[in-house]
Amino acid sequence: MAARGVRYFVAATAVLAFAAYVTIYTRGYADAPIRSDGFSYYVYLPATFIYGDPSLDALSRDWYGGTFPDFTAIRKWPGTGRWVDAVPIGVAVQMLPFFLGAHLLSWWSNLPRDGFSFYYQHAAGLAGLTYFVLGLALVRRLLRPHFSDGVVLTTLVALTWGTNLFHYGTFDATFSHAFSFFLICAWFAVLDRWWTRPTSGGSMALGILAALIVLVRNVNAIFLLLLPLYGGLRLRDLWHRRGSLTVAAAVGAGCLTPQLVLNRAATGSWVVNSYQLLPNHFVFTSPRIAAVLFSTQKGLFFWSPLLLLAILGAVVATGWSRRLVPAALVIFGLQTYLIASWTDWQLGGSFGHRAFTDGLGIAAPLLASAFAWAAERRWARPAVGAFASAAVLLSIAQMTQYWLGILPIIDTTWDQYRELFLRF
Amino acid sequence: MGSISRVVLALLIVAGVAIVLRDPAWVGGVTSGLRPWEEDPAGTRFRWTAGRGSFFIPSDAAAVTLPLRAVFPGPGGAPVTVDVSVDDRFLATIALRDPNEWVRPRLPVARATSRRYRRVDLRVNRVVPPFMLGVMVGEPQFERSIARR
Repeated sequence: MAARGVRYFVAATAVLAFAAYVTIYTRGYADAPIRSDGFSYYVYLPATFIYGDPSLDALSRDWYGGTFPDFTAIRKWPGTGRWVDAVPIGVAVQMLPFFLGAHLLSWWSNLPRDGFSFYYQHAAGLAGLTYFVLGLALVRRLLRPHFSDGVVLTTLVALTWGTNLFHYGTFDATFSHAFSFFLICAWFAVLDRWWTRPTSGGSMALGILAALIVLVRNVNAIFLLLLPLYGGLRLRDLWHRRGSLTVAAAVGAGCLTPQLVLNRAATGSWVVNSYQLLPNHFVFTSPRIAAVLFSTQKGLFFWSPLLLLAILGAVVATGWSRRLVPAALVIFGLQTYLIASWTDWQLGGSFGHRAFTDGLGIAAPLLASAFAWAAERRWARPAVGAFASAAVLLSIAQMTQYWLGILPIIDTTWDQYRELFLRF
Repeated sequence: MGSISRVVLALLIVAGVAIVLRDPAWVGGVTSGLRPWEEDPAGTRFRWTAGRGSFFIPSDAAAVTLPLRAVFPGPGGAPVTVDVSVDDRFLATIALRDPNEWVRPRLPVARATSRRYRRVDLRVNRVVPPFMLGVMVGEPQFERSIARR
């Protein structure tokens, strides 16, 4: 039963996600997929492949009279007067095959080949959905050799519906999180194999994935720490593999080149802080750590209490997943500190805390460890099972409330939360 | 199922999808670059464009009357211009001189097509921030061809 569940979980989730996606857009629960942050991530594609102008200028003149809407992260660089998109090109690179398919279909069906008509919108949305599902497939592949089918299935269900992962794979699929989730799962999977059997193909894949992770969200560079920290600090092992690492670094540098060239053309510098034109910035002296983890606004454990089991998992993990614990603790600690130091620590409107969605693949073995630990203890099994079930059901209910516009998208207070609790 | 059968099946599916998507019936309801319908104080239904906007008209329309209104003047008080093309062929440039006046140009669009709908693309020469408003487009009126396809 569990074996069959694991086998068909990803396919079943893909079908459910697609059904949810169709419902969201046919019922009008959300505006067209290329919206809000999704616009800024996507806009490189029509600018480059339809307008032939990666500087974004031609697109801005054609659509917006030479400017961009305020909701975008695109501003004019003061020194050069050229457009700078605060978000890098990684999501657009991942969307490219979907975009090209949409462009071809638009021509075939005589729809506007303007970069924003029907097929383009849903190619961008379905790209996020696809990467979410592929990320789940990688999580399953990582867990299967180390845990029983029952534990793997429970972990997959918990990760998908006990957190905001399903939401960012469907409702807000053009945001960067489903794309990052896939990349970090792939980074983890390739790394797991590379530490066991290093190959030149594996080293090149590491370089490509590392570059893409940074190109989707610069701060996600912290996930690259998984390489030296995998199984503890492995500086000596890294030195022995310096040849492979040089290959990975060279490939990674090559993949970063388009972004560097774009930066240079727009600002005159190869490396820039593209967020400096936006109102938010880091204040490292007063991080809002408690708020990021526990607040009613966007607290990670308030909105996804299921992830408390990952902490239990870090304590009780054994074997393969035990080797992951030091890296997970360092990365999660750094991530929390960085998010808590950002002036907009809620990251705008979102369901739960979306900054943590990217790294859920690394939380998966810890969740699985907690479930495996509970499965072996008669007294713990009902407690952990009841808690996980309640957390998953609560998350699904709250996600539905968010989709229906019942829950505020930002700044939720305790009074609001109590008043709206499970109200439909 | 053998590998050849799979390839044949895949090709058949692709061909079937391609045939269906060549001229789908739902295209008539597709728009791009247009905001939702609104109503002005006089009761005229309209939608705002951005710098561009696209919609579809039935392919048997011989001419379309397209209500347009600028609301905001053009750069330096100049007329706002709207370039109209149908199925990627330029048709006309409409100048909106009075921002408050609805202009209703009649545009002949007759041209042989094998599809159910023709695509009308509008390009506006100025956009007003912060909501990125181009011009107001009312409900198009069609004159059908005598001989329907």
